[in-house]
Amino acid sequence: MSNILARLFPPKTRRPDEVVIEIGIILTMVFLVYILTSKKKWGWLWREWLTSVDHKRIGIMYLISAILMLFRGGVDALMIRSQLMVPNNHVLPVGQYDELFTTHGTIMIFFMAMPLIFAMFNLAIPFMIGSRDVAFPRLNAMSFWLFACGAALFNMSFLVGGSPNAGWTSYPPLTELAFNPGVGQNYYLLAIQIAGIGSIATGVNFLITILKMRAPGMTLMRMPMFVWTSLVTSALILFAFPPLTVALAMTMLDRLFGSNFFTITHGGMPMMYVNLFWLFGHPEVYILVLPSFGIFSEVVATFSRKRLFGYTAMVWSVLTITFLSYGTWVHHFFTMGAGPGVNAFFGVSTMLIAIPTGIKIFNWIFTMWYGRVRTPVAMLWALAFIPTFVVGGATGVMLGAVVGDYQFHNSYFLIAHFHNVLIGGTVFGLLAGVYYWWPKTFGYKLDEHQGRWFFWLFFIGFWITFMPQYALGFMGMTRRLYTYPPGLGWSIPNLISTLGAFTMGAGFLVFVYSIRYSYKHGERDLSGDPWDGRTLEWSLPSPPPAYNFARIPVVSDRDAWWEMKQQNQTHVIRVNAQDVQPIEMPKSSSIPFLMFVAFFVFGFGMVFEWWWIAVLGGLGVVALLIAGTFDYEDHEEIHPETIRRIEGSLGRLQG
Amino acid sequence: MNVPIEPESQSTQMPLEFTSEHESLKILGFWAFLATDFLLFSSLFAVYAVYQFRVGMSGPTPAQLFHLGPVIFETVALLTSSFTCGLAVYEMRHHRLKGTIIWLAVTIVLGAAFVATEINEFLGDIALHDTWHRSAFLSSFFTLVGTHGSHVTFGIIWALTLLIQLAGRGLTQVTTRKVYMFALYWHFLDIIWVFIFTVVYLSGKIL
Amino acid sequence: MAISRHGKHTRVIGISPNGPTGHGDEVESAYLAPRFEEEDFPWKQILGYIASLVLTALAFGAVVKHILPPAFLIGFILFLAVLQASLQLGVFMHLREGRGSTWQIVTLTLAILMGIGLVICSIWIMTFKSGVS
Repeated sequence: MSNILARLFPPKTRRPDEVVIEIGIILTMVFLVYILTSKKKWGWLWREWLTSVDHKRIGIMYLISAILMLFRGGVDALMIRSQLMVPNNHVLPVGQYDELFTTHGTIMIFFMAMPLIFAMFNLAIPFMIGSRDVAFPRLNAMSFWLFACGAALFNMSFLVGGSPNAGWTSYPPLTELAFNPGVGQNYYLLAIQIAGIGSIATGVNFLITILKMRAPGMTLMRMPMFVWTSLVTSALILFAFPPLTVALAMTMLDRLFGSNFFTITHGGMPMMYVNLFWLFGHPEVYILVLPSFGIFSEVVATFSRKRLFGYTAMVWSVLTITFLSYGTWVHHFFTMGAGPGVNAFFGVSTMLIAIPTGIKIFNWIFTMWYGRVRTPVAMLWALAFIPTFVVGGATGVMLGAVVGDYQFHNSYFLIAHFHNVLIGGTVFGLLAGVYYWWPKTFGYKLDEHQGRWFFWLFFIGFWITFMPQYALGFMGMTRRLYTYPPGLGWSIPNLISTLGAFTMGAGFLVFVYSIRYSYKHGERDLSGDPWDGRTLEWSLPSPPPAYNFARIPVVSDRDAWWEMKQQNQTHVIRVNAQDVQPIEMPKSSSIPFLMFVAFFVFGFGMVFEWWWIAVLGGLGVVALLIAGTFDYEDHEEIHPETIRRIEGSLGRLQG
Repeated sequence: MNVPIEPESQSTQMPLEFTSEHESLKILGFWAFLATDFLLFSSLFAVYAVYQFRVGMSGPTPAQLFHLGPVIFETVALLTSSFTCGLAVYEMRHHRLKGTIIWLAVTIVLGAAFVATEINEFLGDIALHDTWHRSAFLSSFFTLVGTHGSHVTFGIIWALTLLIQLAGRGLTQVTTRKVYMFALYWHFLDIIWVFIFTVVYLSGKIL
Repeated sequence: MAISRHGKHTRVIGISPNGPTGHGDEVESAYLAPRFEEEDFPWKQILGYIASLVLTALAFGAVVKHILPPAFLIGFILFLAVLQASLQLGVFMHLREGRGSTWQIVTLTLAILMGIGLVICSIWIMTFKSGVS
C-alpha cells in the first residue's frame, strides 16, 4: 500500500504554489460535479454531449478543450518567462523548470493546436462542402474522445506521479529508464500515442469526407481554399503520424519492457529516434500551419469582397508545400553530422518550400489589392499574420542554411523562429477562424471592441516577447536554459521578453472575458450571414439545425453562396413544405465515450506498470470494438414534420 | 475482363458491398487506413534496415538467428490463406453464403497456423536467450515481425466476429462490406509478409 | 423513400454536375473511373495463387543457391517481392473497384512513394558514421 502511494505521489518537496494549484483543480472538479448534480444536468450532459456524434457538438467540445489547454500551456509559458526574467533567478526549482518547458511545448502542439484545428475542421468543413455530416460520425466522436483521453492523462501527470521533463521532443537517451526513472516520461509516451490514434482517425475521416461528400457540382477546383488545405492536412496526418507512433512505441518498449532501441550498450542508436520523430515532426509543422493558410484565404477573400486571387496557383502551391514538407526533416538535426551530401540535400529542400509559401503570401496581398477591405477582428488577425509569418519564414530560411544552422541550432534564435511561425501562422490563423466562424457556431458574434483589445495586446505582446529572443540567440543563449549570470548582456532582453509574455497573457484574459460577455450581450446573428460571406456555410442559419442542410445545394461555381447572392438565387436553399423528406442521420452512441474510459484505464496501467490495470483497459478496448461491430443501429431518421417545424421556425420554408 | 462501366448501369452491375453509398465510403476509408498502416510498417522496416547489423556485444547475427524451415511454412500458409480469402470474396460476389463462410473459416485456420508457428519460433529464440534484451537488432526484429503477427491475430478475431454476423444476417450490404474490408486487410498483411520474408529472412541469409 | 444522409435519392453516381441529386465527386479522370470484374470461375485467383508460390520459390531458390553476388541478389529478390505485391493488389485486392472516383489509387501511390522515401532516406541518413566522426 505504501509502495503504491509512493509511486502515485513520489516524495518531493511540494511548494505552496503547487499545492494551491492542486487544491484549485480539485475544488473546480468538485464544483462542476456539484453544479451538474444540483441542476440535474447529468442526463443532458450524457445525451447531448458525451454520446453525441454530431460534428457541430464535437467541434464545440474540441474548441472548449483547446481553450482550456491554451490556458494551461500559457501559464506554463508565463512561469518559464518568470524564471528567466532576471539573472541568477531561482523562483522555480530546476526540476520543475524542466517539467514546465516540456509540458508547455507538448500541450501547445498536441493538446492545443491540434484540437483547435480539428475544431475548425468539424465546425466548418461539412457546411462548406454542403454535407450533412462527416463520412464516419462515430469515428469522429471516437477521435475526440481519444484526444480527450490523451489530454486528461497528460495533465494528470501534474497531480499524480510527476510530469515528463525531457522537452517536448523527448530525445533518448535522456528518456531512457536509466536516466529518467520516474513515471513522467511514460505519461508523455502514452498520452501522445493515444491522442495520435485519434488524430489519424480524424485524418481518415476528413480525407474521405472531402473527397466523397461534396455537394453536387462542387468539383475539386470549386472547393473553398480551407477545404483544400484541410484535405492535404488530412493526407499529411495519414503520412506523418506513423513514424511518430513507431518512435514513441520504441521508447515505450525500451522503458517498460527492456528492449534495446536507444540504449548505447547493446547497439541501440538514439539518433534513430530523432530521425523518426522529425519524419513526423516536420510534416506536423505543416499540419499545423496549412489549415491556417486556408482560414486566411477565406477571411481575406470575404473581408476584401473579392474572389481569392490566383486560386489555381494557391492550390498548386499547397500541394507542393505538402509534398516538399515530407522531404525536409533532417534540417532539425543538421548538427548530427550526417555528412555534406545529406545536409546539402535537406538544406536545399528546406529552402525550396519558401517558393510556394511566397506565392501564397503574394496571392493574399493581391486579393486585398483594390478590394473593399473591412477590418473586423478576424481580418485583423489575417493582416497581422502576413508580416509576422514573413519574418518567421525568413529566419527559417536562415536556419535551413546548413552552415548557419551549426551556429543557430538550439539557441534562442530557433525558439524565436518557431514561435514566430507557430504563433504568427497557426495561432493567428486559428484565432481568425475562431472569430470568423464563432457566429455560425453559436449564433452570436464575439464582441468586436473587446476583440480589438485582445488582438492588440496579443499582437504587440508577441513582438515584444520574441524579437529580443532573436538577439539572445545571437548572443549565445541556448534553449531550455535554467538560469544565467548577470553581465552577459542577456538581462535586459530577457526582461523585455518576459514583459511581452505577460502582455500576451493579459490579451488572453480579455479573450476569455469577451467570450463570457458576448455569450450574454454579443450581437445575435439572425441572418446566418453576418460577414456577407462567400461560401456555403453562410447560407445556413446560425447555429445550423442538426441536419445542416434541409436541401443539399447545387454548386455551379467557386464561392457558391456569393454567386447565389449575386444572381438573386438565394431562395434555392429553401425547401418547399411539400418536398420535405425524412433525413437519415447518425445516431448517438456511448461507445466513443466508453472508449475514452477504457483507453484511460489502459494508459494509466501502462504509465505505472500495473499490468493488471493495463490488461483490464486493453480488454475493455477490444470488447468495445467487438460491441461496435455488432451494433447495426447506427442511424435514425428525422421525421419530415420535425424538419418542417424547424425550417418554419427559422423562416426558411417555402410555400 | 476489365470493363469501364457507364454511370447509368453502374448501380445494377455494382457488387452488393458498393451499392450503399454509406457503406462504400467505409471501404474507401479503410484504404486510407491501410495507407497509414503501410507507412507504419515502412517506419518499422526503416528501423530494421538500420539496426540489422547492430547486434551488440554478444548477440546473434541475422544469419545465426533465422531458420528458414518454419519461415517457409509460414509463408506458404499465409499465401494460401490470402488465396482462400480471395475465394471467399469470389463466392460472396456470386451470392453464395455457404461458400463465403467456408472459405473464410479456412482462412482463419491458416492464419491461426501462421500465428502458432511464429509464436513457436519466437519461443525457440527465447529459450536460447535470444530475447530483445540482447541487442538492437533483436529488438527491431521482434518488433517488426511481432507487429505483423499481432496484426494477423487481430485479423483472426475480426474474421471470427464476421463469421457470426454472416451466419446470423446472411449477405447484406453491411456484411458484404465488412467481408470485403477484411479481405483488403488480409491481403495487405500478406504483402507486408512478403516484404518481411524478403527483407528480413532471405536478406538475413545473404548478408 | 428516405434520402440518405448524403442527400441522394438514387444509387447512381457520377451523374452530371447539375443534376439535383448528384454528387460532388464526379469521376474527374478516366484513370480514376471504377472497374468491376465478373467471372464465372475464379481463374484469376488460382493463377494469382500459383504465381505467388512460384515467385516465393524463385526468391528462396535464388538465395539458397546464391545465384548472384549479394548486392544484386538482394535487388533481385526485392524485385520479386514488388512483383508479388502488385499481384496481390491487382488480383486479390481489386484495386480499381470503387464508387465514384477510385481515390484509393492516389492515396496508395502517395503512401508507397513516401514509404520508399522514408526507408531509403533513413538508411542514407543513419549511415552517418562515415561522414563526420
